[in-house]
Formats: sequence, C-alpha cells, structure tokens
Amino acid sequence: MVNRRAFMKSGAMALFAAGFGGVPSFIARATDGRKILSPYKKNKVLVCIFQRGAMDGLMAVSPYSDPNLKALRPTLYMSPAETEGKMIDLDGRFGLHPSLAAFAPFFTEGRMAIVHGVGSPNNTRSHFDAQDYMESGTPFSKSTNSGWLNRAVGLLGHEGTPFRAVSLTSSLPRSLYGDNESLAISNLQEFAIQMRGNPLATNLAAKSFESLYDQTSSQVLSRAGKESFDAIKMLNANNIKNYQPANGVVYPNSPLGNSLKQIATLIKMDVGMEVAFAESGGWDTHFNQGTANGALARNLKDFSDSIAAFWKDMDAYQDEVTVMTMTEFGRTAHQNGTGGTDHGRASCLFVLGNDVSGGKVYNNIKTLAKEDLEDGRDLPVSTDFRSVFSSVAGSHLKIGNNKILFPGWDGTGLGLMKA
Amino acid sequence: MIRFSRMYKTFTVGAAFTLLSAFSQNSSSPRVNMPYKKMGLTQEQAAAHLLSRFTFGAKPGQVKEVVDMGLEKWFHQQLEANLPDEEVAKRLPADNYEALTMKNEEIVNTYLNAGQIIRVAAKNNLFDKDSVKNLDKPEYRAQLKKIMDAQGFKAPAELQRQLINQKIVKAAYGQNQLQEVLTDFWFNHFNVSLTKGQCQQFVMSYERDAIRPNVFGNFETLLESTAKHPAMLEYLDNASSVSMDNEMARQQEKSAAARALKQRLEQSAMDTSKPGARLLAQTLVARKTQGLNENYAREIMELHTMGVDGGYTQQDVTTVARALTGWSIMPMYKDGPGMKLIEAAGPAFLKRKGFVVEGDFLFRADKHDESPKTILGKNFPANGGYEEGKQVLEMLAMHPSTAKFISTKLATRFVSDTPSAELVSRLTDEYLKTNGNIKALLITIVNSREFWDKTSLREKVKSPFEYAISAIRATNADVQQPFQIYNWCTRMGQRFYYYQAPTGFPDRASYWINTGSLLNRMNFGLAFATEKIPGVKLNLAALNDNHEPESAEAALAIYSKILLPERDLDENIRRLTAMVKDNTLEQKISSAAEKTAPPQQDMNTMQQDEMAMNNDNRKLSRRQQLANEKKALSKKNLPVTTLYVAGNTSTVAQVTGIIIGSPEFQRK
Repeated sequence: MVNRRAFMKSGAMALFAAGFGGVPSFIARATDGRKILSPYKKNKVLVCIFQRGAMDGLMAVSPYSDPNLKALRPTLYMSPAETEGKMIDLDGRFGLHPSLAAFAPFFTEGRMAIVHGVGSPNNTRSHFDAQDYMESGTPFSKSTNSGWLNRAVGLLGHEGTPFRAVSLTSSLPRSLYGDNESLAISNLQEFAIQMRGNPLATNLAAKSFESLYDQTSSQVLSRAGKESFDAIKMLNANNIKNYQPANGVVYPNSPLGNSLKQIATLIKMDVGMEVAFAESGGWDTHFNQGTANGALARNLKDFSDSIAAFWKDMDAYQDEVTVMTMTEFGRTAHQNGTGGTDHGRASCLFVLGNDVSGGKVYNNIKTLAKEDLEDGRDLPVSTDFRSVFSSVAGSHLKIGNNKILFPGWDGTGLGLMKA
Repeated sequence: MIRFSRMYKTFTVGAAFTLLSAFSQNSSSPRVNMPYKKMGLTQEQAAAHLLSRFTFGAKPGQVKEVVDMGLEKWFHQQLEANLPDEEVAKRLPADNYEALTMKNEEIVNTYLNAGQIIRVAAKNNLFDKDSVKNLDKPEYRAQLKKIMDAQGFKAPAELQRQLINQKIVKAAYGQNQLQEVLTDFWFNHFNVSLTKGQCQQFVMSYERDAIRPNVFGNFETLLESTAKHPAMLEYLDNASSVSMDNEMARQQEKSAAARALKQRLEQSAMDTSKPGARLLAQTLVARKTQGLNENYAREIMELHTMGVDGGYTQQDVTTVARALTGWSIMPMYKDGPGMKLIEAAGPAFLKRKGFVVEGDFLFRADKHDESPKTILGKNFPANGGYEEGKQVLEMLAMHPSTAKFISTKLATRFVSDTPSAELVSRLTDEYLKTNGNIKALLITIVNSREFWDKTSLREKVKSPFEYAISAIRATNADVQQPFQIYNWCTRMGQRFYYYQAPTGFPDRASYWINTGSLLNRMNFGLAFATEKIPGVKLNLAALNDNHEPESAEAALAIYSKILLPERDLDENIRRLTAMVKDNTLEQKISSAAEKTAPPQQDMNTMQQDEMAMNNDNRKLSRRQQLANEKKALSKKNLPVTTLYVAGNTSTVAQVTGIIIGSPEFQRK
C-alpha cells in the first residue's frame, strides 16, 4: 500500500492537480513525434501480445529449406523461390511469410528477433490448458493464482501508478491475475465518470463521488477512490479521442490495431505504464488456411501491420519499448484433409525493441523428418517459453529473480537481449 | 448424517431436498441464538446486517419485515429454502429458457460446441473438398445456420445466455436468498469455467444439480457431487486421466477383435479424403498419449479440501490421482462411438465388470489403477475399484485440515476478510462434530459475537455481482434484459462463469476494488439509476409512496435512508447537500441534457452479447428491436454503438445514482 500513497504524493501529480478539465494537453505536443521532457524518470514498457488460437509458426516463419516440409504440406508449402506471393528469405533456412513483410525491415535492422521451436514443456494440445499454463507461467500447476506478468510487475521494485499494468481487454487476462494492481480496459474513453449527454450532471456526480470517497471510513475504498480521480485527471478523455499518431501513422482498424493505438496513447501520456497486454484472435486455422492469400495471410497482415504502425508511432519512445508476442502452441507439421493444420506443439514468437539482439532466428530445431518430430507429427518444443519471457522481461524491465517469476523452473534465459 | 446423505442420493434431487428440509429440524444443528443485543445492536441494525450478509441485499422495507417476523425465524426460513418463487418463474419462462430444465444429454445434443457444428456441416456435405474453400463465406454460414435451425440445433452462446440470466434473475428476485448466496459461494469454491470449451455445455447442470441442491447439506455431499459431475471431470481433466496398469485393458488389447478394430481405425484416419479422418487421427493421437493426469487430484486437495498447507505430499497427490483413474463421463453424444459401445455392452455386462453408472457419471473399471495405494498414511488394498475413490473423498472431507480450510473460507465470506483465529477454531470444532454440516456452520456464525461485532459491520466490500444485484433489490428495479447487468459486472471486474483459474474469484475487498473497477462501479450507479441501461426500469417515486421530494436536499435525505437502511449517513448527506443545494441545478441539467454521442460498448464480448440481446429482446417493442438489429449490423465498425436509451434525467434519479455509486453502498 505504501506505493500507492507515494504515488499520490509524487511530484508528477502536481501537474494534474488543476481539477476536472484542467489537464495539460500534452498529447497535442506529443504528436509531432518529439520526445516530451518528462517531469519524472520515464519507465521502460513491455508490451505483450497474445495470439490466441495457436499460430502456425511453420507458415509464419517457415523452414522452407527443409525438404520434408514440402512433403508434409503439399499445398501449403511456400518458399522464396515462388513467382507469386513468395516468402521473404531471412537466412537461407527460414523464410518470412509475405504478409509479415512489415517485419522485414525490423529484422534487417537487427531490432527484431524471432524465436522458433518455442513452447511449453507440458504437451497438452488443449487451447485452454496451454494458454493457462503459459499465462500463469507454471506449465504443470493450474492452481498458481497469479499470472507471470503480474509477478513481473511485483518484481519492478519501485512505486507505481494505477496504470502500471494495463490490459486492453474487457476482463483481466490470466497473465495479469494476482496481487499487483492491474487495470483491464478495452476503451480508454470509458475511463471517466459518465452520464451520457449530460455534462453538468456528470460534473456534479464526479464532484460528489470524489467528496464521498474522500471521507469514507473504508481505507480500501478511499484509497482506490483517490487514485481513480487522479487517474481520470491524467487521462483526459478528450485527449484520447483526439489522439493523433506520430509520423502520419494509420493503425489497422482491427481489435489489435485499436489496442496498440491505445497503448501508444498511454505511453505518450506518461501515465506510468510499464506492462501492457493486448490480444489477437483467429489463429486456430483448422480449415483452408491458405498460403499467400487466405485466412492466415489476412491475420498475419493485420498482426504485423498493427505492430509496425505501433512501432512507427512510438518513434522517439522506441528506446523505452519492447514488444513480445506469444501463442499457446504451434500446429501440426503436416497439413490436414481440409487445407488447414491441427493442434501441435512448438510455434514461433517475435521480439521487437532497440535493446533486442535481433536479425536472427533463434532456434534449436533439427529437421522435420518424422524421427525428429514429437509423436511423429509435431515440431517439438526445443526452447522453453520461460527462457524467452524471463530474458526479455528480465533485461528490458530490469527485474531479476526467476524463482518468483517462474516458480519451479531452474532453466536459464535465452540471450536474445543486448547486455 | 453420513449414512443419511448416502441414502438420499438414490432419490431424485427434488425428493431428497424435501426430505433434507424435513429432517433438518431434529438434526444435530445448534439452536439459533443471535447475540446482537449483547454486542450493542438494535434489532433493526441487526436485521440490516443479517440481510446484508445472507442475502444479495435488502429490499425496501425488508429490514422492518425481518424485525416483525423475528430475526431467528427469518434465518430458519432461509435455511429451509422452500419459499415459493413465482417471480423467478415468471421472469424465466420456459419458451425463452428451455435449457434450464434440460439434462446434460439433451443440452449437448442441442447446443452444439464447435466440434459438433463441424460434424453437422460434414454430415450435410457442406464440407466436401469442393466447398471447403468457402468455409469463411457468408453463404456457407447461412447454409449452416439453415441446417442447424431445421434440425433443432442451437449455438452454445444461447445456452450461456440462459445460464447467465438465470443467475441474475434468481439472485435479484428469488425468495430463498441464502440458497442463492450459498450457490454463488460454493460454485466459486468448486470453480469451473466457460473459458474451457470441453466443460462449457455442462455448467448449467453443474450449478443446478451438483451445487444448488447440496448447499445446506454436508460438505462431503458437495465434494462428491462435484467430483462426479461432467463439468468438473472435464474442467480439471480427470475424465481423461487413465491408468495403463489395468488387467482388463490388457486383455482387451490382446483380443483379435480389438486389434482388428484398431487397424481399421488407423486406416480410416489415414484416408484424408473422408471428412472424419482428421478428428479420428486426433483421437488416436490423444489415445496414444493418454495416461495419469494429476490436475484434479492436486486441486481437490489444495483448493477444495485440505488447503495448500494442509499437510499432504506430492506423493499423496499422485496417489489420489491414481485412486480416481476411471472416474469419467457417460457418453452422451447421439450416434457417437462411445454411446454405441455402452449400449452394446449393456448394463448387466458393465456391472459384472465393475463399471458404475450414476446419471452422467461413469466409473470405467478398465481405466482404473488396480494396485494397492497409501494416501495420507492410510492403506488401500489392491482392486479397490470405484469404492476406493469414494473412500478417498470421504477421508478428504473429514480431514481436520479440510475442517479448518472450509471454516476459514466461510468465516471470510460471511464475517470478515480477516476472521479471527478463535472464530475459525470454533467453526472447525463444529465442522468435525457435525461431519461438515453446512447448516450447523452457518448457525455457528450467526451465534458468534464476532459476526455482530461493530468492527465487522460493513467491513466487507460487495463483489460486482453482489453490488449490481443489491442495486436492483434496493430499488425494486424491473430488469427485462438481465444480460445487460452481466455486461456491467464484466466491466466492474467480475465476468462470472468465466473465471479461468480453479481458485475461483478471491474473496477480499482489495481484489475487487481498484482504479478501473471502482470507476465502473460509480458509472454503473449512475447509468442504473438514470435508466440508461437498456431493459432496466425503475419506479423511484413508488419507493417514496409517490411523494415527490421538494428539493434535491430532501431527495438526498429520503433516498439515502431507503437505499441504505440503518446506516449512519449524516456525514454523506452533509457533504452532498452542499453540492446539490443550487436549486437551479435541475433546470440547467435538463436543458443541457442529451445531444452527445451515444454510449459505446467494448468489442470482446460483442458476439455473445448480440445473441443474448436478440433473445432478451423478445419482450421489447419493435422500435427497440430495430435499434438492436441496427447495432448488430454495425459490428464491423469499432467501437460499436449500442441501443441508446434516453433515460431519466430527473434530480431524484441522479441523486439515486450517486447514492448507489457511493462508497457506503459498496459495503455490506
């Protein structure tokens, strides 16, 4: 509770002490892409994107040079050699799906790392169980009551604001369950006292609530009340509505695009966010997933375009931000009878940031020959997701103690971040 | 009491329940004797406290009713839980809530899950090689919907709408409030979640058949009824936990017929030109990788009975898992292979082989670990079969760690977030004395000084669900679209039935109250009282015998007393009076009203909401329906505009909104 009180007293709040509507419009100043000189030290931000449904890692980042792949996926095989819709060659072994073209420059510039063959040691092929295990960070225990990102927040070791951990979802994701305060909100404009179409009454209601929560004998309620009203002042709804991304960036009008746009808004508003969480759906491609066009291609394009838009919008803030994607498992090495792929084991993930040792596909993948596959059908997990998460969060957020972050795990981090 | 609980399982649930009620008078329960006077409370204050903890909130005038009736008598009546519930029946008409009385088998063959829908598509040739490319197309979806409608199949979201709405309606309008409060409590204790597809279709019956009828009985009954229910068996994977060490299975494997079948299945799975091949192949892989699954065994000890520090070892967890191998679900998919197999075997054969069938529960003797076991120091000889698992459950239910764990949880729910060790120890003794009789424990709570201690009054913070329902009850609101209330609960941080972890929602104020959720609570109060939540109707004037308050100040004083009976509100009223004193305010507010953007709704629950709204809308006017349809059509634009309700802009409504959103109303 100490941290909350300290937040109230922090000098930063003086900026916002002007009462309702008296918020400096720093958003307007932020839009020219220049960095605002912040009144207090800027924190690092880790943005996590969960691709729910299990992305086909073998198509997103394809080991096209493995001759087994073509045999396993007669109509889904893609390579850089094709004339139309060809893959983008990364290193002579792996190719990037053409719909992920927006990632190519990041990879070339060395700020994006790809980790392949990543997944959980628990071989469940149930979406629910695999997401649960990945988000709790304990692949063999369901009753872990906190999520790994919530524990990461707890390890930050300094005071935080109510916006320290924000999920752009309607309810809190499993990753953020836990004792450290986290905020789930799918539309920042809702972060205000609202009486639709009645500004005078709204103002009265807001003042009344502020006064009532100030005097309640319940400490839990009075603290949260104070925080809420300070937070409203920090997040002036009008500024959110009129938010203009830097560099003329236009976000895809999709759930992920909207989430990342709001995350960018929060970062530029300097509200103290350090962990952000967003989701992307539609990855469960059992049927007709397509190749250069089709269901998966559309999803990959939205995914990469949204992230690329976010990165360009971040502009002067890029040093502070790292983006990490994750998905619960991968899909079968072979295609199925309906032009899709079924639940498998390992997939791939992307890490983007200026402190990432990028330009490399980190992997321990052998071949796609039957004897190298798990149960003779799936790309086996050769990199534990915890070794990636712990390395990225540990390095970017400057947190240690993997015993707390991932209880029961004694592995080591994958060195994919600059020292 | 144990023998009794065994006996009544052979009756139907309804009959058993009547029996239980009849017997409860002369059971070993202690006498109700509430020491509120000793603790310095008036009868009215005591009634208000009792209502705030053992119901979903007092209705207007209910404090006086309870005082007139006598607090003890009222409490007994709630323990009996047999008051007629016409209001609930009226609000949940069979034609709009047909799943409420369906058995699991009927539900799974009506409200199809994703896999079943695919099979329907395949069966109807929507799915052959040529049209597979069109699966995403609207024509395909329209065609599928036509087939589903024609065959009487429904989408799972419709089942969830009925589940969610019935909970809201029963909590808001039910007479047997304590039963609803306990159903909420025990469901959360034995949590299952709609987030897990495999157990989705069973949650309706889980709450109705495994939880609600047993909330006043012995803990062991609850433990066993949840352990055997398909929802729990799927949620924590026990249905797929099997032993490889089984003689019957070995014999089966060896038989020529079994080998021929296996070969045939493997061949069919290879033939990818057939639509079923993929699913078959998956099943075969699953079968190969099957084995012991410890999930349920771990959670039954850690979360359901002994508690994490209850004194068991990892070895105990593994052995309990082995004891529960074979605890599984009766096949119930029509024309599914499992159903055919069971029918072919016949009841006599199954019984002879040691299988046990009880409703939807199936003990598979051919998947059970037959070896001898030692659990918590107790030896179980080899070949214990189904009875072995039952003995394990009984042992867990009666364990002193369980007594303490359950006592702590009940005291936390009903007395304080931090109950005293002395109270917990008294409850633990009572638990052990009465074999975990829940009624006896509740009586021990209301007989305790701790419950009536002034530091306990208003100490608890309502969960979002409790908060929303208490607002409905306090205002006698008419909720025509319960799903709207659910959307608000989600925003306030409680997407009930969707809590993913088996821990259930934490029961403490600091979990519920944070910046985002608190703002949404205030906004709920305002939206609710000003009737801006679609399908919510209030008659605030009726609460004050149709007298209109003469001023905003008067409204404040009057409605504070109606909505928050027996609370000391002087300071609240003093603070608010200063603000509402401006008599011209009402005019200003009215004239400034409206003209701005309609409300927006978040996207994540959109599709489900649409379904729910469309069905909740049957009672609405054509105009409102059109507005809703328009909303559904605009799905592609983010965010989406919902049905806009003009609402009530009167001062009384606004004052009421502020009272409901105030900190005092969050407490219980």
